[in-house]
Parts: sequence; C-alpha cells; structure tokens
Amino acid sequence: MTDLLNYIGLGIMAVLNGPALFEIGGIGLPVALVMLAAGLFTGIAVGATPGLAGPMAMAISLPLLISAFGFTPDALLPVFAFLIGIMKGATLGGAVPAILFNLPGTPDAMMTTLDGHPMARNGQPRRALRIAQLSSVAGDSFSDIVLFVCAPFLAVVVESYLDLPEKTALLILSISFIAAVMGASVGKGLLSVGLGLIVAYIASGNDLTPRLTMGFDALDAGVPLIAAILGVLIVGEIFATLETLWRNNRALDVKTETHGTAQDGLAPGDLKRITPVVVRGALIGTVIGALPGVGSTLAATLSYSLGARRARRIAGAQPFGSGAPEGIAATEAANSAVSGANLIPVLSLGIPGNAAAVFLILAADSIGGFNPGPAVFAMPEGETNPQLVVAFGIFTLMAIGNLLNWTVGGAVMRSMSVLARVPATRLLPVVLLVSLTAIYVQETSMFAVWATLAFGVLGYGMRRLAVPVLPFVIAFILAGPLERSAREAFSATGADPWFLFSSPTSVILLLMAVAALIFLGRDG
Amino acid sequence: MRHPSFRLTPSRALGAVVLVLAVLALLVWVPNDTASGYVVSKRGRVSIGDAMAPALAFGLLALSGLLILWETRNFDAPGQSDRRGPALLAVMLGICAAALTVMIWAGPLAVALLNPDETYRNLRDAAPWKHIGFVVGGTGLVTGLITLVEHRYSWAALAIGLATVLVLIGAFDLAFDDLLLPPNGDQ
Repeated sequence: MTDLLNYIGLGIMAVLNGPALFEIGGIGLPVALVMLAAGLFTGIAVGATPGLAGPMAMAISLPLLISAFGFTPDALLPVFAFLIGIMKGATLGGAVPAILFNLPGTPDAMMTTLDGHPMARNGQPRRALRIAQLSSVAGDSFSDIVLFVCAPFLAVVVESYLDLPEKTALLILSISFIAAVMGASVGKGLLSVGLGLIVAYIASGNDLTPRLTMGFDALDAGVPLIAAILGVLIVGEIFATLETLWRNNRALDVKTETHGTAQDGLAPGDLKRITPVVVRGALIGTVIGALPGVGSTLAATLSYSLGARRARRIAGAQPFGSGAPEGIAATEAANSAVSGANLIPVLSLGIPGNAAAVFLILAADSIGGFNPGPAVFAMPEGETNPQLVVAFGIFTLMAIGNLLNWTVGGAVMRSMSVLARVPATRLLPVVLLVSLTAIYVQETSMFAVWATLAFGVLGYGMRRLAVPVLPFVIAFILAGPLERSAREAFSATGADPWFLFSSPTSVILLLMAVAALIFLGRDG
Repeated sequence: MRHPSFRLTPSRALGAVVLVLAVLALLVWVPNDTASGYVVSKRGRVSIGDAMAPALAFGLLALSGLLILWETRNFDAPGQSDRRGPALLAVMLGICAAALTVMIWAGPLAVALLNPDETYRNLRDAAPWKHIGFVVGGTGLVTGLITLVEHRYSWAALAIGLATVLVLIGAFDLAFDDLLLPPNGDQ
C-alpha cells in the first residue's frame, strides 16, 4: 500500500514538478500542465468545428509534439498531456454546433441535437450549453475514476493469472470482439481485421528476407505505421466527406442559427432534474466504453432511449425531443463517459478500443519508454518502475483536465461557437495538406506521403462499402503483439501445436471469441 | 427477369472478390514471398515460421468473404448505382498526385532556370529555394480541392491555400531547425 501511495505521489510530482515552460508572477508553469490546457482548448475548438474530430487533431499534432519534445522519456507526459487535452476537449466541444446549429461537431454528439437544438431554438442556447457541459464533465470524471481504479487492478490480474497462451487467446478475443461489434456485419468486421493484419505483416517477420514485399524495395522496412493509420482513419474520411459535400451541394454547411433571450442560463431545479439522468448515462457510458471497439454513439443512443422511455412513463414529464434538459444530459453524460473507460483496455492490456486510444499508443510507440500493457502496473521490489510513474502522471493529467473542464470549459465552449461557421468544403482540403505535411515531417520520405494517399483510397472504399475502418487500425496495431505472443507461447510449450487449448482459461477466452462473432454480430 | 435477391450488389461483389483474392494469396503469394515456411526447425528447436501469421490472416480474409456472401444471401441493399463517387475520387487523387509532383519538381526546376550554377540538393536548406515546391504544390492542392468541391474557382480558395502553406512553413520550418518540409528530405 505504501508503495502504491509512493507511486501516486511520484506521478503527481512528475506533472507538477516538471520543467517550467514559462513563469507567471515568478511562479513557473510546468510544461505538462501548459500542454494539457493547450490541448484542451484545441480539443474544444476542434470539437466545435463540424468536419473536424479529435483524432484528426491528435494525428496532426503528434509529429509536431514529437519534434518539439524529442524521443526521450521526458517527452512522454507533455505529449500525453496535449493528446489527453484534445481527447477531453473534443468530447465537450462537439456539443456546441449540435446545440447552436443542429449540426453535430463530432459523430457522438448526434443525439445532442435532438433536445439541445430545440432548447436553443426556444431562446435558451446558454442553458443548453451549460447542461451539456455539466453532464459531459460529470460523465467524463466518473469514468476517469473507474479507470484509475480498474486499470491497475485488471493489469495485475492479467499479469498474475494469464500466461503466454492465455495472453494470445486474449488478443484473439479482443480482435474478434472488435470485428463483431463494429460496422454493418461480422463479415465486414472480419474483413477489416484481416486487412489490418496483412498490412502489418508486410516485412515484419523474423527472417532476414522481408516477407510479402512482392519485390518492392520501398516495402523492405514495412508499411509506415503513421501512413497506414492516418491514411485509413483521416485521409479516407476526408475523401468520403468531400464527396458527400460535393454530392449534396455543401449540405453539411447548412446551419440553423439560434439566439438567446433574457431568461437564458441554468434554470432553478435543472441540476436536480438532470442528476439521475447523468448518473445513469455515466454508468452506461463507462460500461460500454470499457469494451474495446464499442463506440460512444451506442452509449449515447442507449442512454437517450432509456431516458426517453422513462420520461414517457412519468406523468407531466417534458417529452424528449422537445428541448428537455434530461435529453441533453442523457446523451452528453454517456458519450463523455466512454472516453475515460476506453483507456482501461489500453493501459492495462495494451489493446486500443477507439481512435483516440490509437493515437495515445502511437505516441507511446514513437517516443519509447512506455509500453501500454500489464507491465506498466508492475511494482518490482527494490526498484522504481518508471512506466508506473508515467501512468499515475497520466491519471493526474486526466484529473486536472476534468478540473479545467468543470471550471473554464463552459466559457471556452461558448466562445468557440463562431467556429461552427467555418465551411467544411474549405476546411477539409486544409486538413489534408496539414496531415500530409505532418506525415512527411515525421517520416522524411515522399513514399510515406504516397502510401498515405493509397491508404486513404482504401479508407474511402471501406467507408463506401460499409466496412468499418477502426478494426483495421486496431488489428494493424495488435498484429505484432499477437504474432510475438503466439511465437513465444509456441516455443514455451515445447512446440505444442495445440498451445491455445492448453489451459481452461485460454479455452474459455477462445470460446468467448467465437461467441462474440456469433451472438454480437449484426446480420447484413 | 432474375430474382432481385440474386442481383450483384456491391457487398456481394466485395465478398466474392475478397474470397477469390484471399485464396489466390494463400496458394500463390504467401508461399512464394516468405523465406521460411509455417513451422521452422533449427538445431532441433521448432518455432513458428514467417508464413504462419500471413497465412492465418489470409484465411481470416477468405472466411470474411464467405461470411459476407452468407450475410447477403437473402437480401442486400443495391447501393449507389451511379459512378460519380469513384470518378470524383479519381479527380481528387489526380489533384493530389499533380500537386505532389509539382511539389517535388518545382524547386529543382526553379534552380535549373534561375540558378544554373547550383544544384537543388545544395540549396534544399536555403530559402527561398527550399520553399518553392511546397508553396506551389501545397497551394495547388488546397485550391484545387476547394475548387472541385465548391464547383467554382474563387480567389478565397487560393488565399486559403497560400495562407495554409505559410502557416505550415512557420510551424514546421521556422520553428524547428531539424525538420524538413516536403520534398526536401528526399532530395
């Protein structure tokens, strides 16, 4: 217990005692805190801009951050601070255009339009924004607390009870689960996973001759990680959205403006009305967020539907869809609670569950010195585990990020409403150039830029054929650990071809993988 | 007239293509493009070879193709019938390819025309030469795509493109000594 408290103290000090970026009134501001605030405000701005999303901003800023802070372990907390800030800010900012202009800034804010915009149209945009802020930050804070408690516990359980065959089976279960729950069908989910694995296996084997390169020298070092991920995730999205804008004659830019009245602002009794809805939404979002691949949109939809059903049963309750505060609260608490809980599988198992988590893993992978997984939470006797200090530093940053969101988040949200007016037709080509430049700066190779465009075409095609893109990215990241763990398990069991069935735990995990594909998939 | 459920929809075509390509890869690509087999035995120690993981991945791909065909056996949405989407994607890619080509060659061309005693390689870290390709190509990329999506050219599109490259030069090139803007790292 004393060791644990020591690590928590070291994590907090790593954030607060870090090098000062600048001084205000003789007091130095730690670089990690400044980066957290900068990331948070950037995230709110990005969330408030239709067409942009948190992962896009994370992708663009990562090469800049690495250039600024370098590849030393000292860079980890400032870089994570900025990325976590974006993640938290974007969740909050997405509600701004949803409420003010009936236009969700991020996909998970779609349900916020249902009650947020009617309330704004009724002359109460500030009230709607304030309810969204309070619910969103409450949901986020709750799921962060669950993360702080559960991630170390889960990691310790995994490290204590799972051997190499079971860890391989766990990775198979994670990939199967993601394939089953994302997208239109299990077949398309598996297709996405298969493609991700194959691309990752190009030139990544143990032999001296790189595999699957088809004789192309440019592929001898494998497919650039950043090109594959940004291509499918960001460039593919840009191509698909530009096509939609072109087809629909800029339909995404159509906005309905709202104006406040004198009675605008939080009404008496609002907090009492939304509290039970926020608690329920936070629980739903946290449970769903802890499962890799299940997005915040599902959490928001589930929470909203439950709230609407409850409102219909209570006599005199304001119906959902008419500007009910409970409608905004149900959605925002649930979709924000997903983001913290999504980091549980990342930090404890090294398994990313959403796009934001992918970029946190990418940052850790690029900088080095922090490998998300069970080893992060190990407490070896007689020595300090620097990864655990970083993990508690991350938790500290998340807690401070929530504090900022509680205090200044609302004011920043309101000030960002002007960004919803930026037309996506002009913004997305700019984002494309910025992304390609950022990739070049990191890889210093035009091949990486061409490869990014090629993966962009793949991402576009996948979207048009309703093949989910996130399983591709997650499988691409997990392909290496999966093969490595299988190789080690095979060797450790004396070349037993049935090593995956060597223990009841791994058999159960494999059965769960098959069950996920059969029972969780959506037919056609 | 054929039964509607037997129409070749995009999903069914996808399932069939994926299945055929995965089987071909399993039979031709993986065996011919991996140095070791599925299992390797070296000095009495048996380990998993480089072909195992790709073979399993292609097996998964074949299974996904079969599943997609199975899932669409009774009904599948016909999808978009027009070919404007792929055509627009081709135009967008054309704009990107043209802009990147200009980005690569504009600098060397400017040096060849205006400073023939030098090579671009020697000047790739010297302003204004190092910025020429990025400014022209980058501005072209942004302006071209805006013009395409808005169905009209505007001076605002050009100004946005130019402003973007200037901000990027400031953010990457002026702020960091060790960073190279495209295409200067390849020259």
